[in-house]
Amino acid sequence: MKIPLNISWQQILLHLFNFSILAGGLYFLLYKPVKNFMDGRAAHYAELDAAAEAKLARAETLEAEHRRLLEGAESEIMHMKAEAALENERAAAAQLETARKQSEKLLLDARTAAQKERQILLAEAQEEISALAIEAAKKVIVSSSDIYDRFLDAAESEGEQQYE
Amino acid sequence: MKNKKTALIIWICVTALLLAGALALGSGGAPHETVREVMRDAVLHEDNKLSLFGLIEVNPAVVSAMTVTLILLIASALIRLLAVPRFRLVPGRLQLLLEQLVGLFDGMAKSNSPHRNGFLGAYIFAAGVYIFTGTAFELFGLQALTTKGHSLALPAPLSDINGAIALGVLSYLVILSGGVAGNGLRGLGSSLKDFSLPISMSFRLFGALLSGLLVTEMVYYYLGLSFVLPVAVGVMFTLLHALIQTYVLIMLTALFYGEVSEKHHAE
Repeated sequence: MKIPLNISWQQILLHLFNFSILAGGLYFLLYKPVKNFMDGRAAHYAELDAAAEAKLARAETLEAEHRRLLEGAESEIMHMKAEAALENERAAAAQLETARKQSEKLLLDARTAAQKERQILLAEAQEEISALAIEAAKKVIVSSSDIYDRFLDAAESEGEQQYE
Repeated sequence: MKNKKTALIIWICVTALLLAGALALGSGGAPHETVREVMRDAVLHEDNKLSLFGLIEVNPAVVSAMTVTLILLIASALIRLLAVPRFRLVPGRLQLLLEQLVGLFDGMAKSNSPHRNGFLGAYIFAAGVYIFTGTAFELFGLQALTTKGHSLALPAPLSDINGAIALGVLSYLVILSGGVAGNGLRGLGSSLKDFSLPISMSFRLFGALLSGLLVTEMVYYYLGLSFVLPVAVGVMFTLLHALIQTYVLIMLTALFYGEVSEKHHAE
């Protein structure tokens, strides 16, 4: 039976045979190598991307850790500052106490010294006063004796005058 | 400047002489085929047959198909041996072209059939390259000797109905195989539902490429039309057909393949 339009099964099969050779050849020689290369490159870039993502994630973790450490350090610094301030206050109080004690001791010593000095001065003053009193008394005595002598002399002279 | 003018004048004179000679000599006698016979033979290939290795007589398109295959395989082998080993992460021009070509068909297969596309990508790549190259092949006008001793320009492989049927039916079988691989008997059923697909695919290819061939045959039949006009005709009816028919066949194949191979979940 003749098929219209000169359709020939033999030639259809020849075309199919030819195309199958072409398709196989193109697949193994061109399509597969190029696609493999493209897939390999995509995998390579995906790997780089994943590595970069991992690095980024690690950097973010480190950053968070550092931030946390910084915050901890800040609180620690504040705590240390507070402790140092407290310690300063304690030291200042101790120093003040020491100074107060020292001042009290100095004051006491000064008072004692002053007391001693006063006593010494008093004693010296008393001695001086006594000496002065004695001197004065002596002087008084001398002067009084002079007066008495003069009185006696005057009286004597007056008497003599009267008698004369 | 003077030399340029002289060269231009010589070129115009030589061209005019060649044109005058061609018009004066004609086609070397009365044409032994009428335009009707040429057209009929371009469609049916009843008269002009070629001998395939001295074994059988075949339509010229079979020899065209084998020539195209040979050219493509040699080019592919050269690319595989010389270019592919030198591929770099940042591609050069040839590498970029090849990657675009492979990526285009691979991407089309993936977008139309996301669940199953490995074989489809390879098939539409081969079919696309074959249709485009085969159609553009007729532009070269390679000559062959018919069994009757006439000279014949090798036509596009798919301008022969046998070639178009082969590719149309093969595309349908590929779609059928996708349906069976994806959904078993259900996929087979859904593929068989589109029983007109091989016919429509085959005859669409055949009709589109034949129209280009017929116009080209007609243009070249008359000597007066053989100047300047073939440039426009070649571009319009060959390159555009090559692009459009490549796109149409691979797009239809990918679409139907994706449709029939998609997994159907029982609700």
